Amino acid sequence: MSARTAGLALRSLRYRPTASAATFLAVLLGTALTGSFAALAATAGGTGVSATDAETLMIMGAVVGGWGTLIVLFSVASTVGITVRQRAVEIGLLRTVGASPRQARRLVRFEALAVALVAAIVGAGLATIGGRALLALVRGGLVSESVSYAGGFAPLAAAFGVVVVSGIAATAAGRRATQGPARFVVAEARSETVRLGRWRRIAAALLLAYGVGTAVVTITVSAHSDDPYAPMQTSGASAILVGLGLALLAPLLLRWGAMVTRPLLGRGAPAHLGSWNARRRSHRLAGVLGPVIVLAAAAIGVLMLVGIDGRTLAASYDPAGARTVTLLNNVVVGMIVLFAAIMVVNAIVAGISEREPEFARLRLAGATPAQIRATVRVEATVVGVVGVVLGALASTATVVPFAWARGEGVLPDAQLWLPPAVAVAVLVLTLVSSRVAVDRVTHASGRSVRAGAR
Amino acid sequence: MTHTHPTAASGPHALTVSGLVRTYGTGAGAVRALDGLHLDVPRGSFTAVMGPSGSGKSTFLSCAAGLDVPDEGRVILDGDDLTGWSEQRLAEFRREHVGFVFQSFHLLPYLSAEQNVALPLRLAGRRVDRTHVRDLLARVGLGERRDHLPTALSGGQEQRVAIARALVTRPAVVVADEPTGSLDTTTAHGVLELLRSCCDDLGQTVVMVTHDPVAASYADEVVFLVDGRVAGRMHSPTADAVAGQLAHLDDLVGVR
Repeated sequence: MSARTAGLALRSLRYRPTASAATFLAVLLGTALTGSFAALAATAGGTGVSATDAETLMIMGAVVGGWGTLIVLFSVASTVGITVRQRAVEIGLLRTVGASPRQARRLVRFEALAVALVAAIVGAGLATIGGRALLALVRGGLVSESVSYAGGFAPLAAAFGVVVVSGIAATAAGRRATQGPARFVVAEARSETVRLGRWRRIAAALLLAYGVGTAVVTITVSAHSDDPYAPMQTSGASAILVGLGLALLAPLLLRWGAMVTRPLLGRGAPAHLGSWNARRRSHRLAGVLGPVIVLAAAAIGVLMLVGIDGRTLAASYDPAGARTVTLLNNVVVGMIVLFAAIMVVNAIVAGISEREPEFARLRLAGATPAQIRATVRVEATVVGVVGVVLGALASTATVVPFAWARGEGVLPDAQLWLPPAVAVAVLVLTLVSSRVAVDRVTHASGRSVRAGAR
Repeated sequence: MTHTHPTAASGPHALTVSGLVRTYGTGAGAVRALDGLHLDVPRGSFTAVMGPSGSGKSTFLSCAAGLDVPDEGRVILDGDDLTGWSEQRLAEFRREHVGFVFQSFHLLPYLSAEQNVALPLRLAGRRVDRTHVRDLLARVGLGERRDHLPTALSGGQEQRVAIARALVTRPAVVVADEPTGSLDTTTAHGVLELLRSCCDDLGQTVVMVTHDPVAASYADEVVFLVDGRVAGRMHSPTADAVAGQLAHLDDLVGVR
């Protein structure tokens, strides 16, 4: 039975390889990112590594890598969830021809695991290269030249972790997709305001509390530490943690955001449609809002952290070491931002392509393709603006305590142009990828309005 | 029967199609869904279109409503010849002159009943006349439920909202594709009575595709299609007569 499900899953994967491309990419890059830092941490245990070097490598691998891991796990889970949800109709169909909920879930899980496994193995391979590159970066500046790479199986351990998370995400998404009785006419998912699950609210509360807690600790304790990097260790991840917490609450925040932004959108049918869609089907657009919040929070928070660090420390502390820390931080920021950006684009593309029937329906009610594009633009604007504002808010959890700890006061001394610049970049990313996605869909349905006419 | 209504300058027919040909696919596998179809639909009439699967019913409805473009032939809707129009122009024409009712309702899930009814007006950039919208909802028996979302409505109620939406622009023609196909008999009866009253009370022209003889019996006239052509017509139909004719469509076209 299980073998039969596996066979079906593999055939389904061969039939449309692109459907799982997003999962593949997220797992591949995620493993490469976390695996590289895991390799760095593992190198601390290599032979002939001095105690100070070992500690430095551990901190970089575990602490710095830890921020990235959070984003990776979040994005892998969200991507797998989106992939499974897109197949809700097909899963319903399978059940009408006799698949039990357990079989349907097993199929979904097997598909996700098969894709994740291949991607993770390739990613682990990349991580052994990435780990060596990271080590080369810090050698001479932060650790002695004599330290040699000893990543060993650490990239594989990271790969294992990412695969496990994919499996858990697929199981959870599969359970959601198989809830309730099988129906003969597979209804589209149309439930409106969904209450946030209890675990989701608990996880959000924990992340927010932890993020705010580390910010408080930074001001009260680590600001007075002799180690100038202590405040960075405590406050570095706060923006991302708070951002993730807010992302979990995205459906709720989007409903409020859509109400607040409504007067700014003007009149006209697209503003009307976009705003009501954001408010009444917030759980769908929230799949985009979450990544946007995390992207804005991570980009603003960590970039400003690096800026403050460069200004306040470069002069007073070992210059070679400080330069390396700045460089390393920039590498991390780059990877985190890239990752969050991929997640945003993926969520947007997936969210829009699953709405093709809805757009066909709007066409039948009299909407022109231009009006549909305008509606999507309104939605993207609402999501972008709300996400950027919340992301900027989350970033203060890192920026304010760290600026304070480094003696710049509540506001950093410079780079205040950075948050608006990141905001504009994130908004542009959101609007452009929405536009590209909706063009693809309306182009496809434009040829045959009657495709949806039944 | 309310066949003759005060006609516009554009003539006694709300809809005229002539010589419609629509072929799907190419080469040996090509299917000729419409094969030179002619039909006039008088203003204010309720016409049912019937025929076996593959007879071209739905293709006819799509072409007549400006959703699909025929390969040959003309569609004259409310005095306008749609031949050669761009999709943009067709879309703008459709939302002013054609009301649509579908088997699966096609309401927007995030709009309330009232917002769904007003949608075509908004899309056309017209001012939303709230009184008109609420009158229509009251007419379809849902005045009390105008703030409900589609999920909070039954299938029959959703279809009533869809009918109110189809009427909101005071279109020249309401086209209905199997409007009772997803409804139980009792609910279907109510929806058909409603379509009937649109003709009788509002002078609305309705063209309905159906495979159900009972549904067809609500119409003024039934048009039978076979192989993409009109094979016969029946005035003042009864369900039994329609069912009998359907069973003997071969007699209409002769055995080929």
